Amino acid sequence: MSLVSFVKVNHTNHDQLKQAIVDSLNLIHYRPPSKLENIVIKPNMCYYWDYSTGQTTDPRLVAALIEILREKTSPEIGISIVESDASAMKCKYAFKFLGYEKLSQKYNVRLVNLSEDKSDPVEVTAGGQSFSFMVPRIIQNADLKINVTKIKYSLQKIKITCALKNIFGCNPYPKKFRYHPKIDEAIVAINKAMKFDLCIVDGNIVSGIQPCRLGLVMASRDPVAVDVAAAKIAGENPNRIRFIRLASVEGLGKTSFISKGVPIGYFQARYPRKNAQKKLMSKAYNIVTSIGLGKRLGLE
Amino acid sequence: MKKIGLGIIGLGYIGKVHLRNSLKLTDANLVAVSDISKRSLNEAKKDGAKKTYTSYEKLLKDPQVDAVVIALPTHLHFECAKRAAEAKKHILLEKPIARNVAEAEEIVSAAQRNAVRLMIGYPLRFNKVMIPVKEQIKSGFLGDVEVAHAINVGSGPFYHRAQDYAPSPVPEWWFKKELTGGGALIDLGSHMINLFRWYFGEITDIKSHLGYRFNLDLEDHAICIAQFESGTTGVINVGWFSQKYQVKVELFGTVEHVIASNIPPNRMIAAAQMLIMNNSTFWQPHVAELGYFVNCIANDIQPSPSGKDGLKDLEAIESAYKNPIQLNS
Repeated sequence: MSLVSFVKVNHTNHDQLKQAIVDSLNLIHYRPPSKLENIVIKPNMCYYWDYSTGQTTDPRLVAALIEILREKTSPEIGISIVESDASAMKCKYAFKFLGYEKLSQKYNVRLVNLSEDKSDPVEVTAGGQSFSFMVPRIIQNADLKINVTKIKYSLQKIKITCALKNIFGCNPYPKKFRYHPKIDEAIVAINKAMKFDLCIVDGNIVSGIQPCRLGLVMASRDPVAVDVAAAKIAGENPNRIRFIRLASVEGLGKTSFISKGVPIGYFQARYPRKNAQKKLMSKAYNIVTSIGLGKRLGLE
Repeated sequence: MKKIGLGIIGLGYIGKVHLRNSLKLTDANLVAVSDISKRSLNEAKKDGAKKTYTSYEKLLKDPQVDAVVIALPTHLHFECAKRAAEAKKHILLEKPIARNVAEAEEIVSAAQRNAVRLMIGYPLRFNKVMIPVKEQIKSGFLGDVEVAHAINVGSGPFYHRAQDYAPSPVPEWWFKKELTGGGALIDLGSHMINLFRWYFGEITDIKSHLGYRFNLDLEDHAICIAQFESGTTGVINVGWFSQKYQVKVELFGTVEHVIASNIPPNRMIAAAQMLIMNNSTFWQPHVAELGYFVNCIANDIQPSPSGKDGLKDLEAIESAYKNPIQLNS
């Protein structure tokens, strides 16, 4: 079974975030490979919402991770932070507005817009569906790929966003909404095309029915186990989330895991969960927009 | 009585609001719309626009158009408003009047030279909760208003946009100072400065503190302190940094205090209103604003807020930019 660590962050400052990452990695017995030349970090960026909304990875946590990686490997190690353009988000602005441009200057790390980077086509299937993705060279050539993601509710039928969904953002094709009719299969397929080595979850601020300072850092090598844990924390049944089940069937990881650190119940009790009214509203929104009434009702 | 022939130039976010509202007017006909997006023009045609043009120059040559609503990005106001005035079309120009005072002066002077009416789009002036405040000041109910706060905080250009279920990016001109003339202060501050000038008279001094949370080249929030000729000191707080929208004024008089807040209806109520009325109460001030503009044209009345108001608002904003309050972080 996979190991998933749960560490509590008491105060949001650089030292505590750094210590929380170190502890979370120690709990899963993670050591970076000794011979590394280049590392890719994929934070979660979503539109231009800043970290305080719980929607995007806190650049301070990424900064702490960069320091740890350089301390454990070499101060000269090449590190790239990657993201791609999306339907409503331009990478160049997201990097700037969300604080990654400053981080890049301070820590001498590269910011890479995957939509503009060289990439190669890859055919991949998941759940009986075939996909053709462009896989960026920087991801193909990285010695270590780290997924630094969030836990948040998703308006779409996928219910939650965490490790597996974040890799969807490595797809260089900007109009990602076009995958929405087959979103579960697309998420799994892209994770098959681009396998990441390590997941770190920035659960310091999470986005439930409202943002909440949950003070959590999670780590695992297994993205499926991370998503199962995230679903449980968010009050969703992981067995009813199709992309998680499919990812497990497709061999991306295991749905059972061994917890290390703070008991998961501590975070489950504090996550700002949907109540019955919110669940109903969410269903109504999905129905209204799916039948094309969203614009008529001023929801789009 | 002849109906006023209306043309709408620009079918972005606010242009579409004007399009929807113009179709409700009884004393005006929506004659034509113009935009560079063929998709927006096709949608406008479906909504009821009779003629569509891909260039505003062609719309301005249309003899059936008596007046235009200019809802273009700020950097295009100068050229478009001047040409509209030269084509003898009355103008409702979205705020801010222009990127800078020099352009604004030209626009005002072009309107005067060509004897056309020029109104600036400030919907708060037509807001049902903001109008009674003016009456309370005028009647003496509040006593002397010593201090007034204005708040206009929201997500500004970061408002999440979508077209036919597909999310669409923020138009990039929003992030270029040379195209906008500034950030939250010129965008949202212009609303509040105009409202306070209406309440308290001209500004005699103004200073500003600007904030840059999102690392933009232009400010994403601003706090201004302004002295008005009435003796009121105004604190104007505007920002693009919040997902929560709030527009509010708080007036502290020697006798009474008053708070007026423009609260959008919750999404369920707004959706129900859209379904029944094809509009929501949130857009009531825009409906009233357009109706007032048409009425001014029909009756040959100088609209208020006028072009000169827009110019004075911009003079105050430029002055605020030039007089920074530095705080140590």
